[in-house]
Amino acid sequence: MKFYYFHLMPYVMDHDEPSSWVTLSNRFYDPARGRILYNQYLDQLEFAEALGWDGLCVNEHHQNCYGTMPSPNVMAAMLVRRTSRAKIAILGNGLPLRENPLRIAEEIAMLDVASGGRVISGFVRGISAEYFSTGVNPTHSRDRFYEAAELILRAWTEPGPFAFDGKFYRYPYVNPWPRPLQQPHPPVWCPSQGSSETVEWASQRRFPYLMVFTPIKRIAHIYGEYREACQRHGYTASRYQLTVNVPIVVATSDAKAEEIARKHVMWVFNTGLRMHPPFWRPPGYMTEASLRRILQNPPPLPSDLTFEQADREGYVVHGNPATVRDKLKVFSDELRAGIVCSGLNGGSHEATLEMMQLFAEEVMPAFRDDASVDETAGVGR
Amino acid sequence: MAATRRELSVRGTPIHLWQDGAGPPLLFLHGPGAGGRWLEFQERLAEDFTTMVPSHPGHGGSPAAEWIEHSSDLAFHYYDLLDELNLARVHLVGASFGGWIAAELATMASHRLASLTLIDPVGIKVDGWIYPFLFGMDLPEVVATVFHNPMAALALTPPDQSPETLAMQYRQGTALARVAWNPYLYSPLLRRRLARISTPTLVCWGAHDRLAPLDPCGQTWAKEITGARLTVFADSGHLPHLEEPEAVARAVADFAGKASGA
Repeated sequence: MKFYYFHLMPYVMDHDEPSSWVTLSNRFYDPARGRILYNQYLDQLEFAEALGWDGLCVNEHHQNCYGTMPSPNVMAAMLVRRTSRAKIAILGNGLPLRENPLRIAEEIAMLDVASGGRVISGFVRGISAEYFSTGVNPTHSRDRFYEAAELILRAWTEPGPFAFDGKFYRYPYVNPWPRPLQQPHPPVWCPSQGSSETVEWASQRRFPYLMVFTPIKRIAHIYGEYREACQRHGYTASRYQLTVNVPIVVATSDAKAEEIARKHVMWVFNTGLRMHPPFWRPPGYMTEASLRRILQNPPPLPSDLTFEQADREGYVVHGNPATVRDKLKVFSDELRAGIVCSGLNGGSHEATLEMMQLFAEEVMPAFRDDASVDETAGVGR
Repeated sequence: MAATRRELSVRGTPIHLWQDGAGPPLLFLHGPGAGGRWLEFQERLAEDFTTMVPSHPGHGGSPAAEWIEHSSDLAFHYYDLLDELNLARVHLVGASFGGWIAAELATMASHRLASLTLIDPVGIKVDGWIYPFLFGMDLPEVVATVFHNPMAALALTPPDQSPETLAMQYRQGTALARVAWNPYLYSPLLRRRLARISTPTLVCWGAHDRLAPLDPCGQTWAKEITGARLTVFADSGHLPHLEEPEAVARAVADFAGKASGA
């Protein structure tokens, strides 16, 4: 199994505001503290490569304290020059949020060329709240996503110039310089929470599916749907198409790990994802079919999630190294996931570096039977 | 009197429509959340007019129509409805979002209108005003923004919280967002076209409208439509026809009666 180090780059803070998204005033953001955090977070990602992580993940979010990476490509650019081996996975760019998505094709190609072909390009729609912070019409979200994805893939693979005349995006000349180094294009991943529409779209194109912050039962269910869809499209899914993002806490004892998880992992759910209710469900962001599925079996709001429930349902992996190895075996052996993306948070920069070292020394080696395999070969394109 | 519910197809787009009353024909275009409702205001109008209240596609009981992506699509839809109903001339009344659509229809088809009444319409960019973003508000915030007397909001209470009702509300929000999310609650083209309206026009405004305040919104509308008369309702917010239904219905009847030379 492969390990990717996933960073949200949160601006950890406690507050009593109704929402950590969209309306949480940026007067709470202290740029001097932000400077320290950015540099510590980048140090952690660079350290992850040194410790043997296979990939480093960045992602896009806007106007919140949950993740302060409005441009993941900027962070990826910093990593490109400070690392030499690890994949750099951008999970992902919010395609519909861009007015000019050709810019994504250009930026990813730049990163791919400069990094010697280490880039993985996630395509996402952006979460619901981002339609409030960008003004993009949520009823256009899905169609803009498909159209921008088509534009970007064509821009990477078809010799330019060609004209593109979509419903949302129109260009008389599509001819980006540079072209990507990886052929036919950098692997594309689809981070998602499991909508059937995305499962279908990704499986058809062999794009890996990344389940983010999802209970284990649901991951198993969606992986099943994805594998089935791949069969329907005439091939068997590689294990590296089934990926997961789950927070991990490892410590010298189970008790110590639980204490850290209760505090620092639960901050992500309870505070980082605290959202004014209308921001969860902008009109038209999901299909009526998806809405009906959710109404039948409403998931808990992250802000209402208790540690006990998170623990029981597998939203988080925590424990001493042996416990964490056992829990991760569920991912490697039962779910047969090929890649685990995870951030580790010890509560402070120093504690996080220590935790990373412990994980790399005591946990990772138990899952290295595929050390010589290139997880991106034939996947994501 | 009980209003009759009709199902129609307007150039292939299915809709529902309530109808009651007798007299000259009057078409009422509803605002968000009011689709499929026959309320006291409509009841009053039906005393003087053959009152027709269609639900916009995707609102009330009308199915969603994917082709409606712009306010002018809706205005053309109602232009088609006039033909479908064989209405050579009609009194047109629109409230809030419905006022926007009514004004847009009037810029295209004043010759088909006997009179035009706009009740706290949105739909134009008003200098010095940005409409508060209702899509980002929870219910208490919406009520506080839209109503002067919050009790008046009870008229729009959904029947229950069943998945069916919630899905219908989502469908309504989606239909509205398709045409009104960005630019929010207006068409950049409409304001300069208001000068084309040649129908006698009554602009009704709630004195306490916090979504589109009388100053500057109501005053801008009254200025942009040649000869428009502005009437202010002292005890109302954004929806005076819900807060003072009798007074607004009387104002419409008086104005429309004079406009028709009655």
